[in-house]
Amino acid sequence: MSAPVSGPGSAPQAPGREPVRRGLPRMSRTARQHAPITATGLVVKVVLLGLVAGIAIWAAFPLIEAEHWLALGVLAVTTAGLFYLYLSRRHIPAKYLVPGTLFLIAFQVFPVLYTASTAFTNFGDGHRGSKDDAIVAVQTASVKQVPGSTEYNLTIATTGDPATGSLTFLLSDPKSKEVFAGDADGLRKLDAADVEVSSLSGKITAADGYTLLNIGQASSRSDAITALIVPTDDGAIRSNGLTRAYEGKAIRAYDAACDCVKDSETGKTWTADEDSGSFVAADGERLAQGWKVGVGLKNFATVLTDRNISGPFFGTLAWNFAFAIGSTGLTFLLGMAIALALHSPRMRGTNLYRMVLILPYAMPSFAMLLIWRDMFNTDFGLLNNLFGLDVDWFGGNWSARIAVVLVQLWLGYPYMFLVATGALQAIPRELTEATSVDGASPWQSFRAVTLPLLLVALSPLLIASFAFNFNNVNAILFTTEGGPFAPDNPTNGATDLLITYTYRLAFGAQGAEFGLAATVSIFIFAIVATVSAISFRRTRKQEEVYS
Amino acid sequence: MRIRTAGVVAVLGLALAASGCGDSGSDKPAADESAKATGGKLVIWADDKRTAALKPFAEEFGKENGVTVEVQAVSKDLQTNFVTASQQGSGPDVVVGAHDWIGNLVQNGAIDPVQLPAEQKAGFNETAIKAVTFNGQVYGVPYATENVALIRNTELAPEAPKTIEDLVATGKKLKAEKKASEILCLQSGQNGDAYHIYPLYTSGGGYLFGTAANGDYDPKDLGVGKPESIAAFQKIAKLGEKGEGALKRSITGENSIATFTGKKCAFLVSGPWAVADAKKANIAYDISPVPGFAGGKEAQPFVGVQAFYVAAKGKNKALAQEFVTNYVTKPELAVALYKAEPRPPALTAAFDQVKGEDADLAKFSEAGKNGQVLPAIPAMAAIWDPFGKAEAAIIGGADPAKTITAAGKTIQGQIK
Amino acid sequence: MTTIAETPTSTRRPARRSRGRWFAQVGWRHLVGVLAVVFSLFPILFVISAAFNPLGTLSSTELLPTGASLENFTNLFDNTAFGHWFLNSLLLAGVASFASIFLSSLAAYAFSRMRFAGRRVGLLALLLIQMFPQFLAIVAIFLIFTTLTDLYPAIGFNTPWGLFLLYMGGALGANTWLMKGFFDTLPKELDESATMDGASHVQVFFRIMLPLVAPILAVTGLLAFIGSINEFIIANVFLTEPESKTLAVGMYGLVAGERNNNFGMFAAGTLLTAIPTVLVFQLLQRYIVSGLTSGAVKG
Repeated sequence: MSAPVSGPGSAPQAPGREPVRRGLPRMSRTARQHAPITATGLVVKVVLLGLVAGIAIWAAFPLIEAEHWLALGVLAVTTAGLFYLYLSRRHIPAKYLVPGTLFLIAFQVFPVLYTASTAFTNFGDGHRGSKDDAIVAVQTASVKQVPGSTEYNLTIATTGDPATGSLTFLLSDPKSKEVFAGDADGLRKLDAADVEVSSLSGKITAADGYTLLNIGQASSRSDAITALIVPTDDGAIRSNGLTRAYEGKAIRAYDAACDCVKDSETGKTWTADEDSGSFVAADGERLAQGWKVGVGLKNFATVLTDRNISGPFFGTLAWNFAFAIGSTGLTFLLGMAIALALHSPRMRGTNLYRMVLILPYAMPSFAMLLIWRDMFNTDFGLLNNLFGLDVDWFGGNWSARIAVVLVQLWLGYPYMFLVATGALQAIPRELTEATSVDGASPWQSFRAVTLPLLLVALSPLLIASFAFNFNNVNAILFTTEGGPFAPDNPTNGATDLLITYTYRLAFGAQGAEFGLAATVSIFIFAIVATVSAISFRRTRKQEEVYS
Repeated sequence: MRIRTAGVVAVLGLALAASGCGDSGSDKPAADESAKATGGKLVIWADDKRTAALKPFAEEFGKENGVTVEVQAVSKDLQTNFVTASQQGSGPDVVVGAHDWIGNLVQNGAIDPVQLPAEQKAGFNETAIKAVTFNGQVYGVPYATENVALIRNTELAPEAPKTIEDLVATGKKLKAEKKASEILCLQSGQNGDAYHIYPLYTSGGGYLFGTAANGDYDPKDLGVGKPESIAAFQKIAKLGEKGEGALKRSITGENSIATFTGKKCAFLVSGPWAVADAKKANIAYDISPVPGFAGGKEAQPFVGVQAFYVAAKGKNKALAQEFVTNYVTKPELAVALYKAEPRPPALTAAFDQVKGEDADLAKFSEAGKNGQVLPAIPAMAAIWDPFGKAEAAIIGGADPAKTITAAGKTIQGQIK
Repeated sequence: MTTIAETPTSTRRPARRSRGRWFAQVGWRHLVGVLAVVFSLFPILFVISAAFNPLGTLSSTELLPTGASLENFTNLFDNTAFGHWFLNSLLLAGVASFASIFLSSLAAYAFSRMRFAGRRVGLLALLLIQMFPQFLAIVAIFLIFTTLTDLYPAIGFNTPWGLFLLYMGGALGANTWLMKGFFDTLPKELDESATMDGASHVQVFFRIMLPLVAPILAVTGLLAFIGSINEFIIANVFLTEPESKTLAVGMYGLVAGERNNNFGMFAAGTLLTAIPTVLVFQLLQRYIVSGLTSGAVKG
């Protein structure tokens, strides 16, 4: 945060101590800024800063242990910064902004920037990790048992401590009854007299010079066991779980010289293609395992040119606005209407009404959305049965839209009712009474007095509600799932919001396409940002009215 | 006064938060230590239904071997979350899921092949092993197979229908007599259900993927959008809301079984999981293969296999392999899992053991005998959504040719 | 209804009134109220009916209760970790909503009362950042929390504190605007005169501003509480251990696999989930109702 410029909280130049200044009979307002430090204030400050220091120290130890020096540096700088900020008398706005901003940067700004950056990549299923990951995956996936090789019974052993000592595979061949010891240096035969083999499991149960690990002990050294590969002439002996081992061989291997993967059985090669992030053979065949590469603006071009995406985009956008405005507006209207109806000094039992009316809002919305979905079923739904209707609610474009807005209305109007009641209480009765004395009808006095006052009071709430509904994933995902879908376009449905559409792109059944989803999000973001920025300019005027 | 209250509350809040952190901080290491003392920790992810069934056996394995086993349920988007979490290194060691995930899991390097010795492989139902084999490698250990069949209420419909036309005629008669309110309970919902409609699709002549020379499915030969698929959907459309009214979008995954057990329809197309409900509701039922169209091809349901996979980036791979290859392959476990949830075990020994006490099992596998193994190629992921939505639209009365051509185009566009 | 209306304690015209006049003045209000109550209650009635339905299935549930059995409730506690979910949600929503309104009221105070470089840019940035879909950030969240889980298991995956931190990231974006709008309506003279009297900015904030904005604190607190109880998408990937789940995640799991059979338990859980929210609401409603616009209208 930058340094304060003006305002009641800031003091351009005001070092010095309170008691002295306090004694001065007259001084400028800015110089008065530094009020005396109260005992409570001091204690709270010390406790909170102590807490910060405590958390920082708690956080530092694991970082040191893991040798994350950069992170440790960030931690130290942040802590020092916090101490400086709250011990100095300057930067007052920052004192109020920093706590929330720290969280915002770590858990919102960073993830958003990271995600936005994937818009320039092919990040998605089949292209998630690095090239090295893909190579490892290709090689591991090609490990096959050497034909005709032995299946060994395996016992994990060590010559040292079970928890730390280097490991050896004690192997017994169930057919020849031969026993071996294997480690990274290779396989060597053991003298059958030195070992005991269980006749039941065929496993070695004791061996001279070795400490045997039981399954519990072995399982805590899983990584070392997986990493131990005993080389043989035809391949290598690897563990298969904790009680068996097999001789296997990776059929496919990466060759850095040609930057390609070779299959030792068929001799086929797949060369790395850095543009698509896959290994491609001469005949066009690709290996399934690919990696993440930058694709420049390709995703942006796709969004603009793919008819399935760009075609319905503006329709979806329009519906998205309609949904957000409709949900907010209708809940407000209904909530306000009921609040007005119940707002009368002669009304009895308003508390009771209030308690009952608020219930939809208190019910967990995820559960109620699922229940509403069942209620809209054409043949079995409560709604059609109760009213004797035969409406295919989620089947028609408009009926589905009406249905989701209706659900939002049910879920949201109690909130509007509540805040409207609050706002109505605060409007002085004299104001409305004055107008009715002037001969205005109730409607006129509502239009002229009550409504404007309500709107002034509730507009921040309405804006917040609009912003929430604009991205209300649950409202759609738990009810229509975006449907109904046009027969000729299964990717974009009539009740799809931009966000649910993006959700399906990112997590849909057709496989995750994070890169494309991020691109769509950037487009949405740009549109929303423009709209917000324009309306934001108008708030400047409003702010000026107040200040 | 106010400031003090607010201040006190704030400090209390922070203190609470801090002490809470401290508490869980001291809990966790303690838990870790106890795990270390006895051995490693095995984390298994599954969906909710299977989590409940698996839990006792996983714990049993833990007790036998002195390790901690945790079965965790991921309620939504299990596959995607598994891939994302494992890529970042915070995934489980073992995941349980349908075999058609394999293609996607492999292309993301999320699972490793499992090495099953020949004699172990031989113990499994051949179809099940074929299902979990991808690019010549076995990627999971199957524990149950499943396919849909026609379950009918024998009080309402004593005879198994030979064709769909038979079924519709019986259903209509029952409806006219007010004995049932629906002709057929075949779930579709507003977004369709490719899995349940598939037998009718194949009977109408449609196919999803052609077969390559090596017997695998060939993603380059997409059957959706081809004339055969249009013909199949034209037949399906005749059963839809604008036709016979046997297929309806109002019948969903949530209510189809319930409608059947509520005796509102005489026929249900569903899998072994529906049997428990029918028994609970005291319905006299019988199971037969899903009938095809008169004069059409054979109705082939999908055969799906539930399998255990070893995560490639699990923290405890050796233990995961031990669990999957040596514990899951025991007939006792397969039988126990069957008792928790009656799906035909993939292990032949286990299947034979329970076959005697459960006649339904044989009927389901009879119904699935001619089934098609669900394609496990990554391209399959592109099918479900567009195919289902096209199905729903056609059932609702949309033009089959136009709709299915568009679906074919969408699928083609998503297959890379 | 009539009896209530006919025993007014103070009416200007205590003389006899016709039913018509009564209806014109009060009766229609009750009519609206009753209609609203019906609209509010009928889906809830369905939930209640399902929760007490001994069969506990979706298909056997009617709008009006057909039986009274606590079986669904006992099943809920015996067969699932509902108690844990409930406590987790309560703790998480309680702490998160409290901390988030505290953080955002601090920021709102600065944005409303101070002038500094970057103020308007900061405000706009806050508005925009929350427009970016958070579920897309799941990959990045995995990235952050995988590291955090390794370093600090106490705030990693499967802990309410990790999720709490994550929710705090959204605290500023969600509520600052709402609060700033409210702070703006309070007359500046209030804090200026306090400053003249020697109050520090901290004292102005805690002693003068916060009490005056109590209604909006109550509103945002309620919003934040309900928001965290209902949050599903992030919590679903964050909490996988059965005992660490929140109500939204755990209960979704109940119906994800077996919608029909677990419906009674689900309905029972829904009713229980509503209890804390109703209590919080009862606690806060007097602040909200007693004058949401104290500043705006009187100022």
